[in-house]
Amino acid sequence: MAKEIKKPARPEEPDLLPAMGLFTILIPMLLSMTAFQKLAIVEVNLPERSMMNMSDEPPPEPDQQSLNLSLAITSDYLVIGARGGFQPNVFFKEMWTFRCKSDAQLITYSTEDVKASVDAGKGPKCKDGKEMDVEKYMYEIETIELWALEKTSDEDPGRVIWAVYSSQGENVPDSVFVDGNNSFLAVTGEGMMGLTPPPSLKKPGAGVAVATLAENSARKLKPENAAKNIIYPLSAYDLIAKDLIAIHTQFIDLDDADNIIVVANDDTQFDKIISLMDRAKAAGFTKVNLAKLGG
Amino acid sequence: MARKPRKYGEDVPFSLTSMMDMMTIILVFMIKNIDAEGQLVTQAENLILPVSTSRVQPKEVSLTVIVDNNYVLVDNGKVITTEEVLKQEDLLVASMDSVLKERRQTEQEHALKMGLPADEPGNIIVQIDKNIPYDAMYKVMATCGFAGYTNIAFAVSMKNGGEE
Repeated sequence: MAKEIKKPARPEEPDLLPAMGLFTILIPMLLSMTAFQKLAIVEVNLPERSMMNMSDEPPPEPDQQSLNLSLAITSDYLVIGARGGFQPNVFFKEMWTFRCKSDAQLITYSTEDVKASVDAGKGPKCKDGKEMDVEKYMYEIETIELWALEKTSDEDPGRVIWAVYSSQGENVPDSVFVDGNNSFLAVTGEGMMGLTPPPSLKKPGAGVAVATLAENSARKLKPENAAKNIIYPLSAYDLIAKDLIAIHTQFIDLDDADNIIVVANDDTQFDKIISLMDRAKAAGFTKVNLAKLGG
Repeated sequence: MARKPRKYGEDVPFSLTSMMDMMTIILVFMIKNIDAEGQLVTQAENLILPVSTSRVQPKEVSLTVIVDNNYVLVDNGKVITTEEVLKQEDLLVASMDSVLKERRQTEQEHALKMGLPADEPGNIIVQIDKNIPYDAMYKVMATCGFAGYTNIAFAVSMKNGGEE
């Protein structure tokens, strides 16, 4: 009798049911512990009594051994003051970047354009042509940007300064680049108000040495990172941050070298205050006080 | 020719492999986002917190004041409308001050019972919508200080969702 050829055994699938049971327990447990949006805190010092005092008494004479550093924000400019003097104003154009609910795309408008549209009873338009809700468009603001302007006189409307930024995608700027002399890779824009990026401003290629405003950030650009860099309007926050770092380094020996007072108008949005506090803390000013402009 | 009926001789085993793949992806995503330390601050509804580079976490649970576009809330209780705060000239928000003082007194009594120093400055976390004007923020902050809560911290959203 011929020997029966044995059929190869069908591979048995492992029993995955116990593993599935484990996953079914693990996933709800991890879901309850997951943080999709992480929160932090920014500590602040209370407004100083002298700032809150409305009496007519003259303010005390400034201590010559103190820096008395302040950072003021108005609707048009930022300015650093110390020992009774002020640095040149850093003028800016305020821009609001919205993330539309209808298409999830980012779109940027100047505050004047948004206000004109709202006054006409219409919400700002999204890229897909749909209008945002005129009552709730404020909730769609993703970032409030302050584009630095170069001005030659008070009457000059100014021109936007463009710079090279690193980016994580979506044409959203991350960190501004500086060269070996700690100067921004920046050029004033062309066209009306300098809104057209200047052709003379080129993105640094792979292998070029660059740095950001952060400490010990000098590096040579890798090809994959160089490709992600973008040309974007220079932020007035970055201009101020660079000055703050220089001031903190220069006056590190003074008693109040770590103190700064952020001064703002009544109508300044809270977002701008936090952005300024961030820049001040990053520059080394650990004790941040708040005060009102003209208060 | 008549169509041959399909045979269902053997039971087709229920394949869980694709489901396992999906579960593994979800599990890895969850583990990446897990916050083992837990969150002492949770974001209030109806407001958008400003984004900050700060990574400082609160060390203990503190009283929370919320300022959104409509109301000022102390410990989730509505105290006054934001519009009224903006309209008033005075720096001190009276209705908020009375609630905060009451809370501060309770905290101090509790500290005494526990044998802890009662005169230490109170801690408070303020959650403010990013579009709220500075005027409202300043008045709320000053009122917290008057009521004895002098360790003030603002809640913020971490930049890039807290990713490095």
